[in-house]
Amino acid sequence: MTTATLPTPKPGGLKRLIERYPFLPALLIALVLLGLNGLYQPRSVSFIGITGLVKTYLALIMLAIAQTYVVYAGDIDLSVGAIVSLVNVVIVVMMEKMGGSGFSVVAALGMGLLVGLACGIVNGIVVAALRLQAIVATFATSIFFTGLALYVMPVAGTPAPATFWRTYGGRFFEIPFVFYAAVVLAIVIYVLARTRLATQLLAVGDDAQAAFQSGLPVTKIRIQGYALCGLFAALAAFCITGDTASGDPLVGGKMTLFSVAAVVLGGSALSGGFGTVVGSIVGALIIGLINSLVFFVGTPSEWQNLVQGLAILVALMAGILVGRRARA
Amino acid sequence: MSKLIMRGVSKAYGATLALRRGDLTVEGGEVHVLIGSNGSGKSTLCKVLAGSVRPDSGEILIDGKAVTITGPHAARTSGIGIFYQELSLAGHRTVAENICLPDMPGGIFVDRAALESRAQRYIALFDTVSGEGFSAEAVVENLRADQRQLVEIMKALATEAPITIFDEPTSALDRAQVDRFFEILRDLKVEGRSIIFISHRMDEIFAIGDRVTVIRDGETVGTEKIADTNPGAVIRLMVGGQDELAPGASAPPATAAARNGAVLTIANFSGKGFANVGFEVAKGEILGFGGLHGQGQSAVLRAIFGANPSSGGTLALSGSAFAPSDPRAAIRRGLAYVSGDRSRDGVISGRPILENVTPIHYLRQKLFLARPSALAERVKPALEALHTKFAGLSHPINSLSGGNQQKIVIARWLIDRPDVLLLDDPTKGIDLSAKADLFSLIRKLAAEGMGIVLYSSEDAELLNNADRILVFNGGKVRRELTGADRTRYNLYQAAYEAA
Repeated sequence: MTTATLPTPKPGGLKRLIERYPFLPALLIALVLLGLNGLYQPRSVSFIGITGLVKTYLALIMLAIAQTYVVYAGDIDLSVGAIVSLVNVVIVVMMEKMGGSGFSVVAALGMGLLVGLACGIVNGIVVAALRLQAIVATFATSIFFTGLALYVMPVAGTPAPATFWRTYGGRFFEIPFVFYAAVVLAIVIYVLARTRLATQLLAVGDDAQAAFQSGLPVTKIRIQGYALCGLFAALAAFCITGDTASGDPLVGGKMTLFSVAAVVLGGSALSGGFGTVVGSIVGALIIGLINSLVFFVGTPSEWQNLVQGLAILVALMAGILVGRRARA
Repeated sequence: MSKLIMRGVSKAYGATLALRRGDLTVEGGEVHVLIGSNGSGKSTLCKVLAGSVRPDSGEILIDGKAVTITGPHAARTSGIGIFYQELSLAGHRTVAENICLPDMPGGIFVDRAALESRAQRYIALFDTVSGEGFSAEAVVENLRADQRQLVEIMKALATEAPITIFDEPTSALDRAQVDRFFEILRDLKVEGRSIIFISHRMDEIFAIGDRVTVIRDGETVGTEKIADTNPGAVIRLMVGGQDELAPGASAPPATAAARNGAVLTIANFSGKGFANVGFEVAKGEILGFGGLHGQGQSAVLRAIFGANPSSGGTLALSGSAFAPSDPRAAIRRGLAYVSGDRSRDGVISGRPILENVTPIHYLRQKLFLARPSALAERVKPALEALHTKFAGLSHPINSLSGGNQQKIVIARWLIDRPDVLLLDDPTKGIDLSAKADLFSLIRKLAAEGMGIVLYSSEDAELLNNADRILVFNGGKVRRELTGADRTRYNLYQAAYEAA
């Protein structure tokens, strides 16, 4: 009886599976990497090891999610890292000014979300309403946001209050906080995938002209995509603040292109119209696993960047090969 | 009271008047056919109604009330739905999502159940003819062309708009699908809905239409009851009092071509958008491609040049076999291709005129280094042959008018003469005097022995310049017009012939 539920290996079955779940090749790669990690450092696949991995890379996961919604519509946001930096320094300064109490943390986080949202809307207006090229326009706003961050906190180092990072790194009922965060995140993503906006973003990314002719408010939809991206960038900033426990006006800059890489690794099309948020999360995990693997195999520090870069290239190629083989 | 009245609608794109005076009156519960030759303005009239083009003047009344249509969204709220000829589908979405895309059920969240059931209603209409693999969950990208067109039809039907425009909805459908579609249209008529129908098949027009409005040169020239007219009369209305072939002025004797050998021979040529095309071009002959826009003419030319892939057929250049692979190989073998879409296929934007004339010369002479002054010596005669107006060879090409830009692009091919010149609607958007210069050059080139294939969406250009005309419809050559048969009447008749 149990065999009846197994999918029959008919031709095209795998193709349909990958069409339905385009992140499967990425998931395979992530599992292979996890296995390799375990091989070189058995402790890395322990409960503590996984907790550490999630804790370190939750920010990148958030940022990859942020980027995904923009890429859905065929746009790109090169200012996500700068938004992370800006939100990071804003919340740290605000918590510090308000004395670091529980209330100040909540107020600062609210403020952080507003800042992220505002940055996203600015990006959306610049790209969708003023019709500037997304790559260049968001590159320009990234410089602008970085400038604001440097104004708010000229030098890195202001510590975040202990209430904040102890919560982020702490445990409740023996379960690390980051896992609660991951569960909430999963629910939020599940809900977001069922919104009109998600489908509309994908339709715009597929063919903006066609979507316009179908009567969709294309400009509004694209701005909403950027706004959503700004919100998730703010969440990424919360994670990074919890992880580093301090303010740094340049902390997010280098994460921007990693978020784009994570989206692509996860099987989404940069041209828009096709992709999954789950894929981007797996993509971010792949990057994290590659980084830790490079460390675990004992690569000399001067070679680490080179090996990381090669490994990401290999992961990209493997993803494409697996996907193409399955579709053929 | 008429459901829809459009009165005196006009629209100009820059200097070209696409629509001079469009009038259209559509009643409730009728299928109203709109017909006209290429560039007559029928599509523009529909686009005005659908909100994708803003008119310069004119008024639109729906149910007797004046309305202003500011965009596709406003058109929908005014009760106008449209089927787009260029498909407006999102390829990665499912059939159901595409059908409901303009108006997703639900609030912030999509109501999946409502979406499925709404889509299913329209999918069920075509159940018997939609073919294998067609379902609500199917991803549109994976469907066949005819199935995608069915999705587009369902999407237009799902708007439930009192006025629905169908702009060539049947081009990819098979007989059974067309029959089913027409049954559905008849049901809609009974419900009192108004259908505006554009087709390039005369038999369909007479099968489904109640009345027909003919547009010629941007003006509505008449509306007839289908029952009171016949295809010949409709075509005569399209032709109007326009001059037949200008006698002698242009067309060289067709017999001159027959004496020479063939420079380009094509048989059973197939590819995306065309099938089983075969013809010969003789040395010194101008072969015309005619018919309604987008019936495969351009696709054939691009496939010969290797710019688009082809799937089969045999080609020979001056008797020796040739397999199109890419434009570079085609150029080496003496083929030349000039497209009407200058910005995409011709002009190297922002670069000096000199650089825009010389790329083919570099390729054919395998030049690696060249002195600009030596190049200029070769470039100037080519430009002068075309009466090109330019201030200096170092000026950017964008400083020129569209007509002069096109001359530069053509001059590119004249330094090292090709054997065969493929012209893909080369006069699109250029002024009259530039057109005249261009055609006198084309005739001169032909007289010197070049074989020329000319596709033009302007029928007058074709009739006045081509020695023979192959009329395309649905990707196939339907008829060949030679000698005295090259008349507007024959051209339109062949273009609207049943596919």
